[in-house]
Amino acid sequence: MKVRPRHLIAALALAMLPLTACAPGSSSPAADKAAGTNASGCTSPETLKVWSWRPEDVAAYKKIFTSYEEKNCVKVDFQAFKNTEYNQILSTGLTGSNGPDVVQARAYGALQPLIVGGNLTDITGKVEGLDGMDKTIVTGAQGKADGKTYGVPFATQTMQVFYNKKIFKDEGVEVPTSWDDFIKVNEKIQGSGMTPLAVGAKDAWMMPFIHDIFGSAEYGGKDFRDGVQTGKKTFTDAKYVSSIQNLKDLQGFMPKDVVGASYTDAQVLFTNEQAAMFPGGSFELGFFQKQNPELDLGVFQVPVRSTSASQQPVSAAYADGNWAINAKSPKQEASLKLLQWMASKEFGQHVVDDLKQFSPVAGVTFNDPVMKEIWDLYQKSPAPYTLLVDFRYGTPSGTDLMGSGVQELFLGSKDAAGVAQKVQDGVSQWFKPTS
Amino acid sequence: MVQADQLSRPKLRKRSPRRAGTALGWPATVIFLAPAVIIFAVFVLLPMITAFSYSFFDWQGTARGAFSGIENFFTLFTAEPFKSDLPRALMHNLLLFAGAMVFQNTVGLAIASFLYKRKRFKKLFQTLYTLPYLVSPLVIGYLWTLLLSPLFGPVNALLKAIGLGELAQPWLGQPSTALWVIVLVTAWQWLGFPILLYGAALGGIPEELTEAASLDGATAWQRFRSITLPLLTSAIGTVSILTFIGSMEALALPYAMGGSTGSPAGATDVLSLMFYRTAFESGASNAIGVSSALATMMFIFIFGVALAFTSIIRRRERKLS
Amino acid sequence: MSLLTEKKPAAGVPVPQSKRPGPARRKGAAGRFAVSGFLWVYAVIAVAPLLVMVVSSLRTTREMARNPLALPLNPNFASYSKAWVEASFGTFFVNSLLVTVGSVLISTIVSLMAAYVLARSKSRVTGIIEAVFLSGLMLPVYLAILPVFYLLDSMGLVDNKFGLIMVYAALSIPFSVFVLTSFFRQLPLELEEAARIDGAGSFTMFWHIMLPLVKPAIATVVVFRFVPIWNDFFYPLILMRSKENYTLPVGLTTFFGEYQTDWPTLFAGLVIATIPLVVLFLVATKQIVAGLTAGMSK
Repeated sequence: MKVRPRHLIAALALAMLPLTACAPGSSSPAADKAAGTNASGCTSPETLKVWSWRPEDVAAYKKIFTSYEEKNCVKVDFQAFKNTEYNQILSTGLTGSNGPDVVQARAYGALQPLIVGGNLTDITGKVEGLDGMDKTIVTGAQGKADGKTYGVPFATQTMQVFYNKKIFKDEGVEVPTSWDDFIKVNEKIQGSGMTPLAVGAKDAWMMPFIHDIFGSAEYGGKDFRDGVQTGKKTFTDAKYVSSIQNLKDLQGFMPKDVVGASYTDAQVLFTNEQAAMFPGGSFELGFFQKQNPELDLGVFQVPVRSTSASQQPVSAAYADGNWAINAKSPKQEASLKLLQWMASKEFGQHVVDDLKQFSPVAGVTFNDPVMKEIWDLYQKSPAPYTLLVDFRYGTPSGTDLMGSGVQELFLGSKDAAGVAQKVQDGVSQWFKPTS
Repeated sequence: MVQADQLSRPKLRKRSPRRAGTALGWPATVIFLAPAVIIFAVFVLLPMITAFSYSFFDWQGTARGAFSGIENFFTLFTAEPFKSDLPRALMHNLLLFAGAMVFQNTVGLAIASFLYKRKRFKKLFQTLYTLPYLVSPLVIGYLWTLLLSPLFGPVNALLKAIGLGELAQPWLGQPSTALWVIVLVTAWQWLGFPILLYGAALGGIPEELTEAASLDGATAWQRFRSITLPLLTSAIGTVSILTFIGSMEALALPYAMGGSTGSPAGATDVLSLMFYRTAFESGASNAIGVSSALATMMFIFIFGVALAFTSIIRRRERKLS
Repeated sequence: MSLLTEKKPAAGVPVPQSKRPGPARRKGAAGRFAVSGFLWVYAVIAVAPLLVMVVSSLRTTREMARNPLALPLNPNFASYSKAWVEASFGTFFVNSLLVTVGSVLISTIVSLMAAYVLARSKSRVTGIIEAVFLSGLMLPVYLAILPVFYLLDSMGLVDNKFGLIMVYAALSIPFSVFVLTSFFRQLPLELEEAARIDGAGSFTMFWHIMLPLVKPAIATVVVFRFVPIWNDFFYPLILMRSKENYTLPVGLTTFFGEYQTDWPTLFAGLVIATIPLVVLFLVATKQIVAGLTAGMSK
C-alpha cells in the first residue's frame, strides 16, 4: 500500500467512514461490572476499551495508562490499528456490538460524519481542561452544525522548517531572517551540490502542508482565514496567489522531478543528511531523532517579504485528533472520567515526555530543547492550517484541491493563479461564508 | 476459464439427446447445489444487495436518512469533484484494459506459442512468468514505487549506468508516464495466467490443421492468423472478460503506486480509487450514499459489457462449429 | 528444400538440430535462438524486481539510499529476525494458513458439487443459478464490507476466524464454479451413462468417476483462489479485532506503517510473506499445467 505517514496528521485519511445505520440489531449493553472502590483495594476493575490509530505509540500508551489504572480501579485495554484503515475499523466499532469505549477520532471536517451519525457522546461543559486550550484546537473537536464539543484534543501539530545544523555550519549559512535571505541560503547550499529542500510531491497530502509552511505568512495567516470565513476574502486574492507562487519559486531547490519523489524519499534524504532542510510537521521530530540520533537539527519559521500580508513569520498549526466517547458505550461515566484525565496536566505531560507530541493542555513543560523551540515559536505567532481546519467540511475538500493543484503547479500544467482558482471553485461548491 | 469444449474437435463430440431436466434427478440436484447456494446467498449475495440498496438513500454519516431515489446517481454526474473525476477515471480504467489486452495478446500470446512446443526449461519458464502473480498487488505496487523512485530507485540508476541516462525520468511523477507504468506493472504481474491458458488452448489445436496448411504453402504467420487464432477465440474471450473485470475494478496496484488521489494530479485515478476516496476518506456526510451509487454503476457497467461481450464470443464460436 | 522439410514434427518433441547446412536450416536455428533469447529476456524481466526485493532485504537503508544498485557486500540478516520476531509474523502466518486453507477447502468442495449438477443440467432454474454465480465474478468485493460486518456481528462472528473463512469461501464460489463447470461440461456423457447402466447412484458417480477426471481443474481452482485469499488484507483488517487473529497481510500493512523507511526489514517481511505461495505454486504447477493441457486435448 502506498505508504502513508503513520501519524497521518489526519491531513488525509481523515474521512469518516459513513457507516450504515443498517446495523443489525442494537448492541446489547454489556453487563457493567461493578467498579471496585477507589479507596482500599480495587476488587473488580472496570475495563475500558480504548482505540487509537497510532500503533507506534502502543508501548508508550500502555505505560501512561498504568498510572491511571492504579488510581481509578480501571483496566485500560488499549488497541491501535493502522492509520489508513482506522476510519473503517472505527465506524464498524462504533456501530457494531462490543465496540470500544473511548476512541481517537479525527478532527475538524473528518469528525462531522461521526457526530451527525450520532456515534459520539456530547461532552460540552463536562471537561474542565478544555477551557485552557487554544480555540483553533478545540474547534477540531466540535460539531460544525451544533457547535457542541465531542472530544478532547490530544495533540497539536505545528508546521515549520527543520534544518540540519551541521550542514548550515559547513555551508557557512545562518537561519534566514528575510525571504531574500532564505533564497540566498538555498542558492548557496545548492551551489555546493547538496539538495536544499527535502520535499516529495508524489504524496499529494503533503502539498497543502508545505504550502502553509512557505506561504501562510505571505497570505496573512489568521487574518486571511477570518476574512474568508466572513466572505471578505477569497482564495483568488493576490496575496494567496503569491503564496502559491512561493512554491513554484522554490521548486528549483527541491529534488529534481519532485512530483516523482515520495514523502518517505524526502524523509530519507533529510535523515541521511543528503538534504539541508525539511519543511514538515512537529510529528517528524520523534521520527527524525529515532532514525538518526546523530542528526543535529533545529527549526525555524519561514521568513517574510516586505510585501507579505503578515510581517511576522508564523507557525501554522492544527489539532491532530481527539479522544471521544462512543455513544453506544455502556460505560459512559468511566469513559468521561478518563476523558477528564486526558485533559489534565498530568496526562499532557506524559504526552510530551513519553510520546514526544505536543499536548494542547495548558501548562506542560518541554525537556527536549528542540521541542521547546518548536513550541515557543508557535506560541509567539500561531496561525491556523487553514485548508485543513476550515475547509474539510465538504467535498471537494480544500486540502485535496490544493494537493493536486500544487502537483499541477510543479508539473507546469497550471500556474499559481490557476491553482488558486481551482481551490476557490472547488470550495465554493459547498462553502458559505458566515457574513 | 477453460472453455475447452469449444476447442476440441467440434465435429467429433457427440451430443447425446438430453433429457429436459437434470441428469441426476431433483433430490440429488438440490443436495448438490444447496451448500454453495446457501453460503453464497448468505455471505455474498445478501450483503451485496444491501450495499447496492444504500445508493438509494441519503446518509447522515453512519445513520441512514431518507429515501432519495436516484439522487445519489445524479450527484455523481452533476456535482464536483465527481463530475470531472468520473469520466477521467473511467477513461483510465479503459486505458488499463486496452493496455492489458495489447500486452497479453501480443507478448503473452507470443510467449505461449513459443513455449508450448518446447521441452527444455518449459516448467521453469512457466514458474518464472507466474511468480509475480503470487505476490500481493500492494507489495508489487510498493516495490515498483521504490524501484522507480527518481532519487533512490535502481531503475534510473541502471539506465544512467548503461548510458541511457536521458531516459531516466520520474516515471510515477509525471502524468504522461504514470498511467502507462501502472498498465505495464499490471500486465507484468498478471501475464503468467494468460500464458498458461493460451498454452493450454494451443495444445488443443489439432496438428493436422496446421500441417495441412503448411503443406499448402502457408507461411507461419498465415497459419497463425487463419487457423490458430480463430481456434483460440474462446480462450481469448475468457481472458478478455477476466481482464476487463480486473481492469475496471483495479484498486490495489493503482493505490499502491499513485495513492488514493491518483497522483500525480489525478493521472492515475481509477473508479475504485474514487470509490475508496469517497467512501473512506471524505468528510461528506452522505459518503455512503454516493460511494454505493458509484459502485452500483460500476457493477451494472461491467455486467452489461461482459454480457454483450460473451454473446459476441458465443456467436463467433457457433460460427466456427 | 520444400516446405516439407520445414514441417515441424509432433508437438512437444524438440526439433532436432539438423546438421544440414543451407539457408533454410540456418534461418531455423537463428529463429529458435531468437525465440529462446526472447523467452529468457522476459523471464528476467518477470523475476528481476523480485530478486531486487530479496537482495534489498539484505542491505541497510543507508546503503540503499546512497547506492541503489549495489549488491549486498555484507549481507545483513538482521532484517529477517526483526521481521519474524518484532512483527509477530509467526502468529500471522499460522492464521493465514488456517483461514486460507479452510476457505479454499470449503469453497472447492461446495463448488465441485454445484458445478457438477450445473454442468449436467438443462433446467432453467439451474441455468439461472449458474448465471447468478457468474455475476458474482463481477461484484466489486470491497463494497460489501459494511453489510458483511454487520452480518457477522449479528452472528457473533466478528474477530473470529470462522467468520472470515465463511466469507472467503462464499467469495470464492463464483470463480470456482466458473472453472469447474467448464471442465465438467467437457467430460463426455458416455461415462456417466455407462455407470448408470451399471447401477451407480449419483453420489458414487460423482465421487468415483467424475472427481478424478477433473483433478487438474481442482488444482487450478485451488491455486487461483489460494493466492488472492492469502494476500487479501482488507477483510481481515475490518473483521478481525485482536492481534492474535490477524493474518499475514494485515500484519504486513501495520509493518509497512511502522517501518516505512526501514526498507530492508520491510523487504524481509515481504519475502517471508511470499515464500509459502511460491512453494505452493511450485508444487501445484505440474498438476495445473497437466490439467489445462489434458483438458484441452480431449
